[in-house]
Amino acid sequence: MPMVLLECDKDIPERERHIYLKVDGEDTRDFLPISNAPTIPGTLSERGCSFCGAKLVIGGVLKDTIQMIHGPIGCAYDTWHTKRYPTDNGHFNLKYVWSTDMKESHIVFGGEKRLEKSMHEAFDEMPDIKRMIVYTTCPTALIGDDIRAVAKRVMGDRPDVDIFTCECPGFAGVSQSKGHHVLNIGWVNEKVGTVEPEITSKYTINFIGDYNIGGDTQLLQKYWDKLGIQVIAHFTGNANYDDLRGMHRAQLNVVNCARSAGYIANELKKRYGIPRLDIDSWGFNYMAEGIRKVCTFFGIEEKGEALIAEEYAKWKPQLDWYKERLKGTKMAIWTGGPRLWHWTKSVEDDLGVQVVAMSSKFGHQEDFEKVIARGQSGTYYIDDGNELEFFEIIGLVKPDVIFTGPRVGELVKKLHIPYINGHAYHNGPYMGFEGFVNLARDMYNAVHNPLLTLAATDIRGTTAATSLEAAE
Amino acid sequence: MNSEKLDQLYTYVQERCLWQFGSRTWDRQESIDGVLGTASDLLTGKPPALETPQQKLFYADAKALVADFKAHFPWIADAGPAQIRELIDGLKAKLVDITITNSRNGELNHSLY
Amino acid sequence: MGCEITTKERAGVINPMYDCQPAGAQFAGIGIKDSIPLVHGGQGCCMFVRLLFAQHFKENFDIASTSLHEDSAVFGGHKRIQDGVMVLAQRYPDLRVIPLITTCSTEVIGDDIEGNIAQCNAALKEAFPGRKIHIVPVHTPSFKGSQVGGYSECLLSVIKTIATHKGAPNGKLNLFPGWVNPGDVMLLKRYMREMDVDATVFMDTEDFDSPMMPDKSIHTHGRTTVEDIAGAANAIGSLALARYEGGTSAQYLQTEFEVPNTQLNSPYGIANTDAMLQAVSRITGKPIPESLVRERGIAIDALQDLAHMFFAGKRVALFGHPDLVIGLAQFCLEVELKPVLLLLGDDNSKYKKDPRILDLKAKADWDMEVVCNADLWELEKRVKNPDYQIDLILGHSKGRYVAIEHNIPMVRVGFPTFDRAGLYRKPTMGYQGAMDLGESIANTLFAHMEFNKDREWLLNTW
Repeated sequence: MPMVLLECDKDIPERERHIYLKVDGEDTRDFLPISNAPTIPGTLSERGCSFCGAKLVIGGVLKDTIQMIHGPIGCAYDTWHTKRYPTDNGHFNLKYVWSTDMKESHIVFGGEKRLEKSMHEAFDEMPDIKRMIVYTTCPTALIGDDIRAVAKRVMGDRPDVDIFTCECPGFAGVSQSKGHHVLNIGWVNEKVGTVEPEITSKYTINFIGDYNIGGDTQLLQKYWDKLGIQVIAHFTGNANYDDLRGMHRAQLNVVNCARSAGYIANELKKRYGIPRLDIDSWGFNYMAEGIRKVCTFFGIEEKGEALIAEEYAKWKPQLDWYKERLKGTKMAIWTGGPRLWHWTKSVEDDLGVQVVAMSSKFGHQEDFEKVIARGQSGTYYIDDGNELEFFEIIGLVKPDVIFTGPRVGELVKKLHIPYINGHAYHNGPYMGFEGFVNLARDMYNAVHNPLLTLAATDIRGTTAATSLEAAE
Repeated sequence: MNSEKLDQLYTYVQERCLWQFGSRTWDRQESIDGVLGTASDLLTGKPPALETPQQKLFYADAKALVADFKAHFPWIADAGPAQIRELIDGLKAKLVDITITNSRNGELNHSLY
Repeated sequence: MGCEITTKERAGVINPMYDCQPAGAQFAGIGIKDSIPLVHGGQGCCMFVRLLFAQHFKENFDIASTSLHEDSAVFGGHKRIQDGVMVLAQRYPDLRVIPLITTCSTEVIGDDIEGNIAQCNAALKEAFPGRKIHIVPVHTPSFKGSQVGGYSECLLSVIKTIATHKGAPNGKLNLFPGWVNPGDVMLLKRYMREMDVDATVFMDTEDFDSPMMPDKSIHTHGRTTVEDIAGAANAIGSLALARYEGGTSAQYLQTEFEVPNTQLNSPYGIANTDAMLQAVSRITGKPIPESLVRERGIAIDALQDLAHMFFAGKRVALFGHPDLVIGLAQFCLEVELKPVLLLLGDDNSKYKKDPRILDLKAKADWDMEVVCNADLWELEKRVKNPDYQIDLILGHSKGRYVAIEHNIPMVRVGFPTFDRAGLYRKPTMGYQGAMDLGESIANTLFAHMEFNKDREWLLNTW
């Protein structure tokens, strides 16, 4: 019974294996949604492609790197101005995108010369930039362009540049998840260990799986600075290309997003013996625990406690103000995957919010093990949810607010349900103590939006408008 | 063994701890053994091993876990070493069962990450 | 002095001005009522385009993907097309049109689209007797042209697939406005009402600006029906208002069904709008009403306050869709703005011979440059050049950082304009559009004067 075949899925019964309704007494041994599996064509899935998983999610965050996309123009256009990851150098990464603008003749005769020319041009046009990532796309992978050979030639011609290649055509895998994997493994294979970082502290970490969405990385960096911990590389929020080449020198890998970057943490452990610590960076309770663990690792517990005390004193009263007013709010989380398990318990513990439905675009079964262990009974857990399913689930659980992307946000707006940008945030950062107050504030402002009441009013009805009553 | 107490610890770990959900079976086994082994040491007054970076990490996770156990389950302060070891062994077994032996996660045994 | 027409010399692109063909095809496809485009390719080809439309319109649009995965790249995507069509038909009972839009990957693989459609049609007939779903083959490999041509291609294929025979004349006028905003569609429909002309807009996107209703009903969809499309063959005439976006469809209706086609300058600015209304009047025999003469007068009256005082001699860079850029350059001349740089963002070789561009070239007694196949780096390089001097940028949101970084006033116009509120609702075409745009330009320049303390005192007495 707990795997659910929704009414809208009666013609695609295989969807039953992707949707779970948790019931008391059950656990993930009994039921675990199928995930990271092919999407049913025509379902209006929310998924993106492997290319975007590599370029848009991870590589494109770097603040000093040309993102050369070898393919037709759309792949570049579409992965530009669709993310909110600022940097401390004026957002170079947000301002530019590069494409080889592949045309039919290159499909027929090969695109390697075009790529080589475009790479030289890009370096010539932006002489201060010396780092580049080259991505394949569907057509360049299909015709078999050897981007590694081209990169090697360009590096031969230009000794001061370094280039990483990423073979991530959009059709590879079943979602953006495949692109995360390709970039992670490629990077550790080819680039980690090629630069020796300058060590400035006794305590060194890599912070993995945080992309400076809304300024997350920069906020957490304040904590590391206060603790005297050197972050050798942020993978990849606000990071330089060469930071990531020195990842092998950290003493500890602290992992936030295990889905998009767990691979590199595993490989760094396997190859360099760097232990992997998974933490949750969203939520007071979780963030404090993460800081405690990192500080315990380094034997600087007192510093950690001082920081936590300071942050709690500053932000906890504000959090509690919102908690008082958000208690009992019903929330749905329809995002990529990990935020389901990062958030479900933290909003419950810190804000008294009940998460009633969660859908993951590209999570794997590991993510569902985590979220089902943490989430409530009576909550729906959905893999690769689609539009009609969302409508049906909304009818079943009636959320007060949905954390999801802007397009789905526009859709649920018509149903008088406010959305918060669960990918890029409304007004982030959301990580850390201050960040979670931001999240609480945005949620409070969303569910208390007076327009929602006005929208529900049918002026043809018999009840007089409230403002009129007030005036009388 | 007091199964009610064991269930309390198990429920707490399932809901709270990311270390039980490593990518592969061997990661999970290593963490379950390492963190809970260290937790057992801490709860029974044995000095934990802190020689390797990995042991330091087990200690960091175990220390947080033990603090939470003590905060949530006051009875644990009164438990003797034998009972602690028995509980922790029981907890390990339950975690291994759900996260490894009977896990439905189809990726747990891939040889590569 | 004079106009130079050039082409970007670099092979690669830094900051593209247009998306690829399938994106344009998807935009045309959502303009049809009861239509869900099915994009045959990787999932990103549809997911990001849906996001782009959502960014611009602040609305959700239904577009499906065949979710091409690795096995299809090897063995072909036939089954995924057929599954996709069937799943859409099963789950969306009101569905009547599926534009089947190809992408670079599926064109390279070489999936037989027409053959698959024939099989889908047979399967649909069996599964849903008595229900007609039009599956429209749209070949839009991303490595050809751009979103501009993709829009045109989808429109043409929709007409070819659905307007299949000539019936009794319906007395209607076909309007092909090109890729415009709901505000423009609403303006054109109003003008036709005021002229008492029964017209069909291809595509009628009025409801792309849709309400939050008390009953929570969703109205975000195209309004052009299957019947409207079929009826295009029976119209008294077609007006093609955009040469590169829909012009081929109007031409096709003339060739195939003898529906007379009139290719007009896009109705940006006063004179182009005059020409459009006069053409409508000529074709339909209906007089231009007093109300439009009055609206024209109000627009000229408003612009008169701005042109020789504030606009004259201001050097303008324009980028965006070709018909828009060319039309706005013509409008600039009407209000004494100097269009010094026109950037057209794809490799269409027809731009260089476009009569409107040749006319601009003939008129230009100032330095003017038209760059074909341009990217926004071409704009940025010129803006950085102190000798070039740009006073104003007219273009879409993808160029926002050029303006921000270099402190140049910029008025958002075209597609997409996600960094300004509500622009999709406002017309750019027609007298009202000219007036609104002129006033936006003026207010943007005024704010710029104030924030830069550049003769802001001028406005103390205006």
